[in-house]
Amino acid sequence: MQDNVCNEKVFSSIYNEYSKDLHDYLYYKYGDQFNPNDKVQDAFIKLWDNCKEVTLNKAKGFLFMVAKNMMLNDIKHQKIVLKHQQIKPKDYTNETPEFLLEKEQFLQKYQRALSNLTEEQRVVFLLNKVEGKKHVEIAEMLNITKKVVEYRIYTAFAKIKSEIKEFK
Amino acid sequence: MDKDYLIKKWLSGELTESERKDFKKLDDYGLNLEILENAKHFKASHFSTVSSYDDFKNNLKIKKAPVIKLNSYKVLFRVAALLVIGVSVYFAFFFNNLTTVQTLASNKNTFELPDASNVVLNSESKASFSKSKWSDKREVSLEGEAFFKVAKGSKFDVLTSGGIVSVVGTQFNVKNRENYFEVKCFEGVVSVNSKGKSQQLTKGNTYRILNDIVTIDSTTNIQPNWIKDRSSFKSVPLYVVLNEFERQYGVKFSTEKIDTKRLITGGFVHNNIEQALKSITVPFDLEYKRDQSNKFTLFSSD
Repeated sequence: MQDNVCNEKVFSSIYNEYSKDLHDYLYYKYGDQFNPNDKVQDAFIKLWDNCKEVTLNKAKGFLFMVAKNMMLNDIKHQKIVLKHQQIKPKDYTNETPEFLLEKEQFLQKYQRALSNLTEEQRVVFLLNKVEGKKHVEIAEMLNITKKVVEYRIYTAFAKIKSEIKEFK
Repeated sequence: MDKDYLIKKWLSGELTESERKDFKKLDDYGLNLEILENAKHFKASHFSTVSSYDDFKNNLKIKKAPVIKLNSYKVLFRVAALLVIGVSVYFAFFFNNLTTVQTLASNKNTFELPDASNVVLNSESKASFSKSKWSDKREVSLEGEAFFKVAKGSKFDVLTSGGIVSVVGTQFNVKNRENYFEVKCFEGVVSVNSKGKSQQLTKGNTYRILNDIVTIDSTTNIQPNWIKDRSSFKSVPLYVVLNEFERQYGVKFSTEKIDTKRLITGGFVHNNIEQALKSITVPFDLEYKRDQSNKFTLFSSD
């Protein structure tokens, strides 16, 4: 059958379509402390094991649910701190050391602000602003409405801004 | 116009021309842009990426293949001799009754053969043997590197693409990588057959074929360094060291204008990547930079 998840062609196209988004979702939500790639792998293995029972259009929901549960099993209310890429002095050859220091401090405030967001706010904000996913795509991915997506992005942005301003 | 309204529309990318003009006049305009602009510093792919479908498939095969349960370092047998063999043999996976143990990057595995001999596999290596046929087919096929502690009085052959090693109650290390075949004997006597030549090694002897050049050397160690999470090299090309580093840490190197065939003597630890990186760069006038969480570039200090 064409749409059978147990068919390798079908399965590999599911992998190629959802693996990166699932990974990024887990990463932005929970950080890399609990190895999001491993969870993605395990979720797909579970899908493969249950390929007879999961239909093609339920596959995405299955993957997200399984991966999220696996992640939650590992985590016990730990604070998520996302890493940020350090400024390399070579990128800014004509800037002063003071500027670079300020920039690094700015990013640390940013990092703290991100870790103070709720997981929902953080995931949606970063998927939109870093990965460039449209509101509609995010809504589809997380099974929420477009309005909720917009609301979370706005709230996240406002929180980040107020935290950064507080310490300026 | 209401500030929040403008910001909401801006975040959604829905500002009209005139709204955009008002947005630019807001007090926080610069900060607003700065926040958006700097979000990219937190991009996931700098720190964590998802495996490709091919890697997923390989991973699935490994998890599904029958694998020996791992042992701790219990000494269950008396070891009479040490043998080091670098042997690599390719064995088909699924469609026979072979028992296979495999390691990926940054892994080491220990397991036992049916005669209670103990084998430790280094990273990215694979060993196979037939449990049921062991009584008349005492052969272990090896790709990569392994340290064997053979049970006293026990005898078997280790098959690799670089050569065959016959062991009788010894302790030895076998390493077979690209153009690199090496046997180190830590105790007892080992017979190595490679490229039509036969060589006997006794305790403390090492035998190496690197790019078709044979080197006979000696060691005072009682076991290979990698068992204790350290790698050491004596006059090997830089690329050999880099390849082992990649296997131990699961990273990838690219190089800029460096002669990777240059011979070096040195080593690195397996459990502290910063220290390890320094060990393979500083003594050789090299530097490194990190491109992504698991990709590095090496270049010359001058």
